[in-house]
Amino acid sequence: MKLGSDILPSRLKSIITKLNGPNTLGNSRVFWAAFGVGLLLLVVQPLIRGSYAAGQFSLFLAYGLLGLSLSIIWGYTGILSFGQVAFFGIAGYTYAIVSLNLGGALGPTVALPVAIAVATISAFILGYFMFYGGVRNVYVAILTLVVTLVLETFMAQTAGAKWAIGSVKLGGFNGIPGIRNFTLGVGESSFSLSGSEFYWFVLAVLLFAYLGSRILVNSKYGYSLVAIREDEERTAMLGYNVKKVKLAVFTFSGALAGLSGIFYANWGNYMDPSVFTITFATIPIVWVTLGGRESLLGAIVGTVIIEWLRKWFSINASEFAIVFVGLILMITILFIPRGILPGIRDMYVFFNAHGLREGIEHGRDTIQSRAQTLLGSVGIDISDSETPGSSEVMRE
Amino acid sequence: MSRRAVLATGAVGLGASLAGCSSSGGSGGGDGSESDTIKIGVLEDRSGNFSLVGTPKWRASKLAIDEINADGGIMGKQIELFDPDPQSDNERYQQLTSRLIRQENVDALWAGYSSATREAIRPTIDRNEQLYFYTTQYEGGVADEYTFCMGPTARQQLGSVVPYMIENFGSDIYTIAADYNFGQLSADWVKVIADENDAEVIGEEFIPLSVQNFGSTISNIQDADPDFVMAILVGANHSSFWNQRTSAGLEIPMGTSTVMAQGYQHKRLEAPALKDVYGGFNYMEEIPTSRNEDYVSRYYDKFPDAGYANEESINNYFSIYMYKQAVEEAGTTDQEAVRDVLESGMEITGDRSPEGDISFQGPVHHMTHNMRVMRCDAEHNITVEDQRKIPEQFLSETVGIDLSGEDDGMTKQFTPVEYFDEAGS
Amino acid sequence: MIPLFIADVLKALDSIGVPVSQLLQMADSIAFIALAAIGLTVIFGMMGVINLAHGEFIMMGAYITTLSINVVSLPLPVAMILGALGTAAFGAIVERTIIKRLYGRLLDSMIVTFGLGLILTQGTRIIFGNSLRSIGTPFGQVPGYTYSGYRVLLLLAAIGVLGSVYLAFTRTEFGVRARATIQDPETARAMGVDTDRMYTITFAIGSGLAGLTGALYAPSATIVPGMGQSFLVESFVTVVTGGSSVLLGTALAGGILGTINAVFSNLYGNFFGQIALLMTAIIIIRLLPGGLTGLANTVRDKLGEQQS
Repeated sequence: MKLGSDILPSRLKSIITKLNGPNTLGNSRVFWAAFGVGLLLLVVQPLIRGSYAAGQFSLFLAYGLLGLSLSIIWGYTGILSFGQVAFFGIAGYTYAIVSLNLGGALGPTVALPVAIAVATISAFILGYFMFYGGVRNVYVAILTLVVTLVLETFMAQTAGAKWAIGSVKLGGFNGIPGIRNFTLGVGESSFSLSGSEFYWFVLAVLLFAYLGSRILVNSKYGYSLVAIREDEERTAMLGYNVKKVKLAVFTFSGALAGLSGIFYANWGNYMDPSVFTITFATIPIVWVTLGGRESLLGAIVGTVIIEWLRKWFSINASEFAIVFVGLILMITILFIPRGILPGIRDMYVFFNAHGLREGIEHGRDTIQSRAQTLLGSVGIDISDSETPGSSEVMRE
Repeated sequence: MSRRAVLATGAVGLGASLAGCSSSGGSGGGDGSESDTIKIGVLEDRSGNFSLVGTPKWRASKLAIDEINADGGIMGKQIELFDPDPQSDNERYQQLTSRLIRQENVDALWAGYSSATREAIRPTIDRNEQLYFYTTQYEGGVADEYTFCMGPTARQQLGSVVPYMIENFGSDIYTIAADYNFGQLSADWVKVIADENDAEVIGEEFIPLSVQNFGSTISNIQDADPDFVMAILVGANHSSFWNQRTSAGLEIPMGTSTVMAQGYQHKRLEAPALKDVYGGFNYMEEIPTSRNEDYVSRYYDKFPDAGYANEESINNYFSIYMYKQAVEEAGTTDQEAVRDVLESGMEITGDRSPEGDISFQGPVHHMTHNMRVMRCDAEHNITVEDQRKIPEQFLSETVGIDLSGEDDGMTKQFTPVEYFDEAGS
Repeated sequence: MIPLFIADVLKALDSIGVPVSQLLQMADSIAFIALAAIGLTVIFGMMGVINLAHGEFIMMGAYITTLSINVVSLPLPVAMILGALGTAAFGAIVERTIIKRLYGRLLDSMIVTFGLGLILTQGTRIIFGNSLRSIGTPFGQVPGYTYSGYRVLLLLAAIGVLGSVYLAFTRTEFGVRARATIQDPETARAMGVDTDRMYTITFAIGSGLAGLTGALYAPSATIVPGMGQSFLVESFVTVVTGGSSVLLGTALAGGILGTINAVFSNLYGNFFGQIALLMTAIIIIRLLPGGLTGLANTVRDKLGEQQS
C-alpha cells in the first residue's frame, strides 16, 4: 500500500504490511479504501442519528467481537465451539459482580480487566481439558455446548440470598440488574460511557481487535492455524505442537468473547442466564456462517447485519419475524454458500476480470441455475430448453 | 472500475447504517409537550416461550384501549398504541423499551411477563423515569418509584389458598416449586404462612424449568404422605406434571398459585388431570359474577379465536382503565403528576374491574385484590370455594415502605428471608 | 390388563427386595433419553448431518398424533403411526430439496436446519395457536404403585424401537445397502445402489423415528409449539456420548445417562440430576474419543484377541 510510503515511519509501515497477507480475503487498495469509507460512516453515525440510536447500535458492535472470536477459532482453526457464549457470559457476570461490589468509579475500571482475566482463565482450563485430552471435531462442539448448558442450569437456580458473591446476589433466573456503565478516569474527573461515547469506545476496541486479528492470521502463527484446520495430523507430523496452538488460540478467542460479554453487560446494564441457552449459543454460528466464516471482516459484518435484521423484523413484522429470519438463513446458505463477504469479493473479482456486462450476465446465470436446481428437486421445471418428457415447461 | 467498487461498497455501508432511521422525529423529546394523542406502549409476548400467557395480556390491553377510544378516549384524546412483539426475549425487551421511551415517547408503558424481563428493563425505566405497569403475578417485594405492580403477589395468592387448605385438609404440607426466583420465593412464603397458621412444611422439592418427567417427584410425594401439596409449577414443561400424577394414581389434594389461572391447563389437558386442584387467584375466566360474564363475552366477541382470558390479562385490562382515571384526575399526562395522583390511592370499581371492586395502595404501588380460592373438580369445572379481599402486606406492613413520602425515588426489591426466620432453608 | 401384568412383575421384584420405585424412575429416564436420541442417531450418527430441527420433528409427530385424535377421532395407535409416517414424509421432502445440497458441507446443514426449526416452531404457532388440547394418558395407574402404566410401557417401546432399528439396519438387504452408502458412497454406487434414494430414505427414517418419539410422548406431555426444545439437549448429548453405532451407542448412552439422572434426582433433587447427567456426558466425551461405541469396539477387539 503506497500512500507516499516515505512519509510513514518504518515501524508503522511494517505493521501495515503485516495487515495484509494470504489468509485474509481483502488485501487490495480497493478493499482498504472501501473499508475506510465504511469505517468513516460508522464513526459519524452517532453525529447523524443521535446518541440514542448509537447506543442501540453499539450492541451490534459488541456482538461483532463475539463473531470475530468465533471466526478465529472456527473459520481459521477449524474448531467449532458452542462455548464462546460461555466465556461471554462468564465475563459479563464477573464484570457485574466486581463492579457492583467495589462501587464508585473505580469499580467498573477494575472490573474490566478482572472479567477478561476470568474469561481467559476459564477458556484456558476448558481448552486444556479438551485438547490435551484428545477431544476432537464434533466432540469439541458438543462438549462446549454441554458446558454452556451446565452453566445455564446452574445459574438459573441461584436465586435467593445465599447465592451471593460479596454484596451482589447472583439473582438466578432474574439475573443481575443495575450494572454500572464502564467509566474512564477516576474520582472527580471520571465520566461513565453511554450513548455515543460508549459507541465510539466499542467501535475503537472492535477496530483494534480486528486489525490485531488480521496481523495474527497473516503471520506465521496464522499459517499454523490454517494448517491445523486443513489437516491436523499432517501439521502435527510436520513438527508443530498442535495441542499448544489450539489451546492458545482457544484461550485468545475466549478472551475476545469475554470482552464482548462485558460490553453487553454495559449496554443493557443487565446480565442473566439467557446468555447460556442453546439458542444464544447457536446464534454466533449463524452470524459467522452467513457473513463468511473464513473472513474476519465477514464475521463482523454478518453479525451486524443479522442482528440488525432481527431487530428490524421484530419491530415491523410482529409474529412473522421469526419466520422471516429462518427463511433468510436458509436462502442465504443455499445461494451464497461461502458467506456474504466472500460472495461480494467473488463478485468483485469477477467484475474486475470480465467487465460489467459479463458480470451481470454471469450473476443472472448463477441465480437462474441455482433456482432451477432447487425447484427441480421438487419437480418444477423452469428451463427454457425443450427436453423430451418434461411435463411442465414454464416460460419465463 | 475501482471507483465503482468503492462506491458500491460504500453505498452498502451507508445504507446499512442509515436504514434504521425511523420517520418519527427526534430522539429524547420532552414529555411535557402536548400532542393530540396519548401514547401507550404495550410489550407482551406473542411468540417464544411465554406466548401462551403473553398473548391474552396483549388481547386484553387491546380490548381496553379500543373500548376507551370508542368512548372518546382520555380527556378527549385518542390513545395511540405501540405494540411490537418482544418474542419472549429479554434483549428484545431492552431494545424495544428503549425505543418506546426514547423514540416514541410513550406516556405509559405496560411490559413483560416474567420477573426476569421486569428486572432486565427496570434500569432503563428508572433511568428515564418512565411510568411503568407490571401486570403479572410475581414474588412480591418490588418498591420502585416508577414501577406499578398490578398483579397479586405470592403472599396474597398463597395467603388465600394455603390457610384454606390447612383448614380443610390438615397441617402437613409438601411443596414442589419451579427452581428459580419466583418458585423459591413462593416456597419461602408457604413456610411463613404455614407458620402463621400452625402448620408445617414437611418437605420441599425444586424442579428446574426444563424438566418434564415427574416420576421421581411423584414417588417422593407418595413417600412423604403429606395432607396436601403446594404445587408452584411454571411453564409448558411443568404442565406435564398433572397428566402424570393422575395416571400414576396420586390422589392427594393440591394447592397452587400458578396453575390454571395463567396457562389454563384445565382446558388444555384432558380431565381428570386437574382433579382436586385448588388455586388462589384474583381472577379466572370462570368467575360467576354477571360483571365478569359480561367482560368475557366482550373479550371473545373481539377475539373469537382466543384460547382463554387469563389472570394476567385482567390486570392489563383494569390497569389501563386505572391509568385513564389517574390522567383525568391529574388533568395531564405528565408522568410525575400521574404518579402523584396514583400514590394517593385509588378505587377501581364497576365494569373496569371484572374481578370485583379493588383498590390501589398508593404508598406501596401494589393492589389490594379480590382473592378467591377456586377449585377444579374431576370434570374440570371451576367453583369458587372462598373469597376475601387481601391487601399487599409485605411492603406495607412488614417492611414499611412509603413511596409517596419518605421513600420517594426508591428502586429496590425486598425478599422475605430478610424479615422472617421461617423463610430460607 | 397390561398394567396388571406389569403390577405382577413389579410385585415379584418387590418381594425379592428390588427397590421398585427407583427402578421405575430409572426406566422412565432411560426410555426418555433413548427415544429422544434415536431419530438423531440415524441422521447425525449415521449421516453426519447436524439436524438442529430434531426437536421440531418430534413436535411434528406429537402434533399430527394429537390432531388426528382431536379432529378426526382416530384411535391412539393409528394416530401415533400417522404421526411417525407424516414426519417421515416431511423429512423426505426436506432431504430432497435442501439437505441434499449440503452433503459436501455438513456444518452448513446445522444452519439450514436451525432456520428450518425456527420456521416450523413459529409456523406451528401461527397456524395452530399457542397450545393444543392434549390427549389423555391411557392405561392409568399400575395397581399398587404410584406410577403410570403408560410410562412403564414407554420403556418397552424404547427397547422395541431400538431393536427394530438395529434389525432393520443390520439384518435386512435394505439396511446393508444403506450402511454401504453411508460408509463408501462411491463403491456403493458402483455396485448399483441408488445412493440418492438411500440418503432420502435414511433421512426419512430418522425423521420418522423422531416423529414416533413425539407421538409416543404426546399423551403424557403438553402440546405446545416449543415442546421439542426439551428433547434437544438430551438427544444431542446421548448421540455424541453413544458414538456411531445405532443400537449399541444409543442403548449404552441412554442406559448410563438415564440411570445417573434418575439416581441423582432421587437422592438430591432434579437440579442435581440434570447437572449429573451433563457432567457424566462431559466425562465420557473427554475419556472416550469414539464415544461409547468406541469403547465397546475396543472391548470386543480385546476379547476377540484373547479368544484367538
